[in-house]
Amino acid sequence: MFKKLNDLQFVIGLFFSVVAVILLLNVMLTSNVGGKLNIYTGAVFLVFGVAMMVIRKGKE
Amino acid sequence: MRLHFADYLIILVYFIFVIGVGFLIKKKIKSSNDFLTSNRSIPLWITSLAFISANLGAQEVIGMVASGAKYGIMTVHFYWVGAIFAMVFLGVFMMPFYYGSRARSVPEYLSLRFDEKTRGLNAISFAVMTVFSSGISLYALAKLMETILHWDFDISIWVSAGIVMVYTFLGGLTSAVYNEVLQFFLIVLGLSPLVIIALQDAGGWDNIKTLLQPEMTHAWKYMGNANDNPMGLHFMSLIFGLGFVMSFGYWCTDFLVVQRAMIARNMGDAQRTPIIAAIPKMMMPLIVVLPGIIAITLMQPALASKGYHIPTNANGELDYTMTLPSLIAHYYPTGILGVGITALIASFMSGMAGNVTAFNSVFTFDIYQSYFVKNKSDRHYLLVGKGVTVVGILISIVTAYIAKGFNNINDFLQLVFGFVNGPLFATFLLGMFWKRTTGHGAFWGLVSGTVAAAITHGVTVAEGKGGWITPLYTIKSGMGQAFIVAGVSWTFNFFTTIIVSLVTKPKPDEQLKGLVYSLTEKQKYHQQKWYLRVVPLGILLLVITLLLNFIFF
Repeated sequence: MFKKLNDLQFVIGLFFSVVAVILLLNVMLTSNVGGKLNIYTGAVFLVFGVAMMVIRKGKE
Repeated sequence: MRLHFADYLIILVYFIFVIGVGFLIKKKIKSSNDFLTSNRSIPLWITSLAFISANLGAQEVIGMVASGAKYGIMTVHFYWVGAIFAMVFLGVFMMPFYYGSRARSVPEYLSLRFDEKTRGLNAISFAVMTVFSSGISLYALAKLMETILHWDFDISIWVSAGIVMVYTFLGGLTSAVYNEVLQFFLIVLGLSPLVIIALQDAGGWDNIKTLLQPEMTHAWKYMGNANDNPMGLHFMSLIFGLGFVMSFGYWCTDFLVVQRAMIARNMGDAQRTPIIAAIPKMMMPLIVVLPGIIAITLMQPALASKGYHIPTNANGELDYTMTLPSLIAHYYPTGILGVGITALIASFMSGMAGNVTAFNSVFTFDIYQSYFVKNKSDRHYLLVGKGVTVVGILISIVTAYIAKGFNNINDFLQLVFGFVNGPLFATFLLGMFWKRTTGHGAFWGLVSGTVAAAITHGVTVAEGKGGWITPLYTIKSGMGQAFIVAGVSWTFNFFTTIIVSLVTKPKPDEQLKGLVYSLTEKQKYHQQKWYLRVVPLGILLLVITLLLNFIFF
């Protein structure tokens, strides 16, 4: 895990995944007025974040 | 606008990540080259995104949305006339000299090509400009946060400057570049939902075209006469002033952006950096121009029910700089509001870090090492580089407070920067492509171009600005005035450089190998696939850019 943090692609993916989790939890735990927008954005961020973390570059 | 726990949490997570990147890079910093030039070891995708992100500061993001609201689709000329052509030119023609000469900075290239006085003039003016730009960026951030979120001005200044200081001090240029890539994704992905929902709310592009004046939605159609378009510009002034002088001057000679290409792993990647960066750059108007056009559409009577207004200033005029923050406040609920605010903060920090890292490289290599303390150990220059990072940020903070006390200093500094930047491209163009150009020619050309810029501003008036010598000529918009000032300064530099060069002694050919086009061995690309070669890639980009201009004609 620590080694992966040296990889910028992984760090960016992790950041967007964390933000996505905050957005989705915010919808689940509160009576959020703009829930739909948070859900869509959170889902897109989660897909992008996980893809950045999982998809490895050719050299590896 | 009121933030809630989730919004603050997202901002906090962002701060933790950018500082974390600094700590992760710290252990890789062993020498002054690691700290100040990333030891030319950064992969292509990172240099390309950092190249575009270094120009994605607050002035760009907030300023372009404001211009979109004020001038309409003509704002895209900054991209489809200016940036793309200049970036392709940089990649194809100029990077071989910057990278191949092994210069660590743009002023160092000037020293190799011309002489020390030309380097000194460029290095000192650049260092002053970057550190003051960083301060203005900091002031703008604190002011915006004070206005829209009612945050304390001092806390905004010290927290944001402190965070930039931590990650640039720890990881130097690499840390700044890595964070610029993170900031790029945050700005693009954080503002994309805003564009989508606001565009839907405005009824789509077809409805925008129906509701707005036609000159707001046609990029070229009304440029045959300066009085027919909101910028007040004839298309020739735009093509020469913006498309040639200002854009090429910025994208091809400003070390802040060129530095991102100079840290690539090899010549091929250095050349491809601005060309790959041109792909997202071409699409940036969707994120930074379209929201402005949407905002002004939402204020039309037919869409009054949407309840959106661009805020007004103390004089009751529309405050266009508040267009983006007001759109975020109008459309973003808690949660994604934190993302939008973080994207704004990221754009400010990206601009500030870019300026600080360019400043510490130029100060350490081109001023301190060249004129004050030569032949010291590498560790000495590493420590100086780190010290200069701290000093640069402290000067930025002082500048921010001066800007707070004297509102006009922002306009004044931007004006002076314009005078210095305007003529620069002529010096590089002649230096790289005409081997007869001499150091005296370059130096006096720069001086005459800067003086010509100041005089032109002094005899022209636009929106109440300029005319401080005598108001001889009135121009409709400040932007038009800037293009004309830049065009005049470039012309004066160009001809002064030629005339002085012809009467002074040039450097011998042996000293100019690798620095001038006619004396440099050309790169051979034929063994590579077409999509790895800069010329076919560049041509493809230019064709797409021309098509975009045609579609939105």
